[in-house]
Amino acid sequence: MTQQQAGGPPGWRRRAVVLLAWLLVLLCGAVVIARTQIGADLSAFLPKSPDVRQRVLIEQLQSGVASRTLMLGIEGGSAEQRAAVSRAVAKDMRESKLFELVQNGDVSDWSDSGTWVFQHRYQLSPGVNPGHFTAEGLRDAINETLSMLGTPAGNVIKPFLDRDPTGETQRIAMELVPASAPRSEDGVWMSRTAPRALMISTTRAAGSDLDAQAVAIARVQSAYAAATRDMGADAPKLLLSGPPVFSVMSRDKIKTEAIHLAVVGGIVMGGLLLLAFASPRALVIAFLPVATGVVIGTASVSLVFGSVHGLTLGFGSTLIGETVDYAIYYLIQARGAAVAGTGWQRWRDQNWPTVRLGLLTSVCGFAALVFSGFPGLAQLGVFSIAGLVAAALATRYVLPMLAPDGATGMGMRRYMAQVAGALVRGLPRLRWPLAALGVAALALVLWQGGHLWRADLGAMSPVPKAAQQLDEMLRNDIGASDGGVLVVAYGDDEQAALRHTEAAAARLDALVDSGELVGYETVTRVLPSLAMQKARIASLPDAETLRASLEEATKGMPLPASRLGPFLADVEAARELPPVQRAELAEGPLGPVLNTLMYQRPGGGWGTLVVLHPGAKFDQGRLEAALAGLPEVQVVDVGRELASLYQRYLHEAFVQVLLGALAGVVLLGIYLRSWRRLLAVCQPLLFAVVLTLGGMAVLQAALGILHLVGLLLIVAVGSNYALFFDQLRTTGRADEDTLASLMLANLTTVVSFGLIAISDIPALSSIGRVVAPGALLALLLSAAFARSVGPSKASRGS
Amino acid sequence: MRLDRLCRAFVLALAFCAVPAFAAAGFELPELMALLAKQKSGEARFTEQRFVHGLEGPLDASGTLSFDAPDKLVRRTLSPRVETMAVEGNTLTLSRGGRNRTLALDSMPELLGLVEAMRGTLTGDGATLQRYFRSTVSGSSAKWTLDLTPLDSRLAAQVRSMRISGRASDVLGLEMEFVGGDRSVMNITPGGAVAVPAGAPGRTTP
Repeated sequence: MTQQQAGGPPGWRRRAVVLLAWLLVLLCGAVVIARTQIGADLSAFLPKSPDVRQRVLIEQLQSGVASRTLMLGIEGGSAEQRAAVSRAVAKDMRESKLFELVQNGDVSDWSDSGTWVFQHRYQLSPGVNPGHFTAEGLRDAINETLSMLGTPAGNVIKPFLDRDPTGETQRIAMELVPASAPRSEDGVWMSRTAPRALMISTTRAAGSDLDAQAVAIARVQSAYAAATRDMGADAPKLLLSGPPVFSVMSRDKIKTEAIHLAVVGGIVMGGLLLLAFASPRALVIAFLPVATGVVIGTASVSLVFGSVHGLTLGFGSTLIGETVDYAIYYLIQARGAAVAGTGWQRWRDQNWPTVRLGLLTSVCGFAALVFSGFPGLAQLGVFSIAGLVAAALATRYVLPMLAPDGATGMGMRRYMAQVAGALVRGLPRLRWPLAALGVAALALVLWQGGHLWRADLGAMSPVPKAAQQLDEMLRNDIGASDGGVLVVAYGDDEQAALRHTEAAAARLDALVDSGELVGYETVTRVLPSLAMQKARIASLPDAETLRASLEEATKGMPLPASRLGPFLADVEAARELPPVQRAELAEGPLGPVLNTLMYQRPGGGWGTLVVLHPGAKFDQGRLEAALAGLPEVQVVDVGRELASLYQRYLHEAFVQVLLGALAGVVLLGIYLRSWRRLLAVCQPLLFAVVLTLGGMAVLQAALGILHLVGLLLIVAVGSNYALFFDQLRTTGRADEDTLASLMLANLTTVVSFGLIAISDIPALSSIGRVVAPGALLALLLSAAFARSVGPSKASRGS
Repeated sequence: MRLDRLCRAFVLALAFCAVPAFAAAGFELPELMALLAKQKSGEARFTEQRFVHGLEGPLDASGTLSFDAPDKLVRRTLSPRVETMAVEGNTLTLSRGGRNRTLALDSMPELLGLVEAMRGTLTGDGATLQRYFRSTVSGSSAKWTLDLTPLDSRLAAQVRSMRISGRASDVLGLEMEFVGGDRSVMNITPGGAVAVPAGAPGRTTP
């Protein structure tokens, strides 16, 4: 402090250049952010290099029909009202063209599909094979059709008797009726357990296009509002669920929450800083590195990943707590220069190296996350690194231009310094009890082991419990909760995928016969492979052969062959029909079925989805056994795959966090060049982490991946404190203002993470609940384990 | 052509034919129902003749019926082709040509109405019966008929009326008349079912 600094305040030219450059960078960042799409689907937290089943699952989650499915419930009111609302909403939704498929149980518009199936019956019917058109086969098939005449079905069958006496159309139709469908009442679907009409629809827009999903949801709501306008107070209520609702809800919630946290955090922090500096100017300056960090962090994620996940954005608010520390250190530590305007130079020479080392340690920690195989985690890494570096650089280069001598006011800092001084003098006495506590916490954490880390992927979801329960309820009503087991077949091209699907379907038929499945839905019922269609067409005999067989088959039957001329003509015409192609089907009335069950894979090739309707005897092991030996067919148990994904994810995160921490330690070691000092710096951080974990274990909190990220943040934030105590020890200077800066920096960190800890968004609150106590512990423990750094009586400043 | 109607019709065809083979007596519906309610299960043989406009001659079928209270109903056609239709609870299973098809009954309300009426008759549940049909009982307990007219408009669009007849506690006949003039007549012989022929491979009795 007595050392004379060369130079003086930075010249105006230099100021202008630095400030302009900084503003330009901020502007670029803002432009990038303005053009950024914000995502909210949990699939960003799924791995980039999955195994076969996981890839299939991720395709489904990201773009499959599941991600586009909306479920609606219309609850309350009278049965007539529910049916009327269901019909009106469905009509409006169909007219909007925003939805590919709208099902409410009303089948009155199936006539186009029926006509199409009738026209292509000889290509589609599973009954068509060479034996089917022999005299014996014809007799059997015609008898089957006749068995339906003189029954309630007769009037529907009769008009087609002459053209389809073998009943191919009803054979196809029966296959297309889902084995488990909701109860039907008044011509619309109703719940079996509650006064609730049900609807299910898929949006045309991809599940990841949240803006389009929001539009679709708004359309449903306005259709409902229009349908119930005249019903008064006892109108049925609209219940809406499904992945699009969750995604849009999550995005909105995260956005609101992030803004909310930033505002509240900003106000509280501003209050603290005002108390500490008693200077609005200092307050504004202190926020500049924070703003720079958030803007550059967000922009970097956007540039690297193309979009920013909502959680990353929410995470951004946590950065406030750490980056504001840099400004606090600078504003306090650059004070008291002997020559006005040179404080920044002394800070640069004496304190910046320590801040820089703390920064580098943090960067090391987060660098491990960048290499994570999970895009969501990598985003947090990139965000933190870019944000911290930008904030530190802003502190180092921009702040000296604006406040060469730090902040002027003293505010309440004197009291802070007194408290800090008392702590620093008193805490070392608690060293041994604290160490004992740490050992006990370590023992508890080790004893709990894996049990402590029992949170799952769902725990990260910002979707509230009530919404999840509503979803499950509607799923049960609709029968969509099929245990979450999917069968997916794929191939390099359409035909290969369809052939593999047919192979799988043949094996599933056996499970249907044995009652393990009550049925299944497959695209090959409306789009058989070309090979299958050719085989069917090839089994149609020529006109003469058929005429002869038919004469023989109908001998003694009440249906004479002479009546069946139209049948002969239709079969003859079918022999010349071009095969049913995907493109043609997609244009037609069965297009929605096709688009639901068949999709182009993102990595090339085609996939088909086989939807299972499990029976009472369903057993997943037997299903897998039945499909064994078909390498292009996968059984995907959504719940199981997600759980295994998460375990992999957690394991990977553990390794990365450990590697990151190790890299930080190595860096510190290289810089400090002393085992003793290294130990002194690492000791409080280790104990802070262990005590935090111990506290979590005592509170029986279920820990997950984001708690782990929180631990990394404790080390990142805490390393600054530990390094300052190390610096104080070596320089022997422990003036009260420096201690006050630490105290203030810690206070702001604890407050900002404390705010996050009470957030509604589980991902954010888990980080906050770890970092807020952890950061406080890191400071207290750094003071407790520091040796002989009691503040000298001769204090500087004021 | 309407796919849904076709399916419904197809299922109805099988369901509607599975009707009581069992006991009853009484003048009015409550007495009849009280008598029918005593029978908890039963087996019978049936022969059926259907008269369809446009066909040269009647269609014949025969087979067995069985019922287990409260909700299991099986019709097994043995001639001219082997087919089984079984209802249990809310599940309908059709077995034909070696394949099983399962459907949820209540997803097809007119079908549910029919099946509930059948079960209502067999369990003597008059309330259920009257939910779906207008009923008239005539004759005496020694020789009675129960006339049913569908209330549900969808069902009424296909079935004009049905008549169940019996003597004392036995259901002996079922006649149905359809919109369009077709007719079916089923004669029922209560008692042990004939042995199922061995030539019914891949067939399961649900």
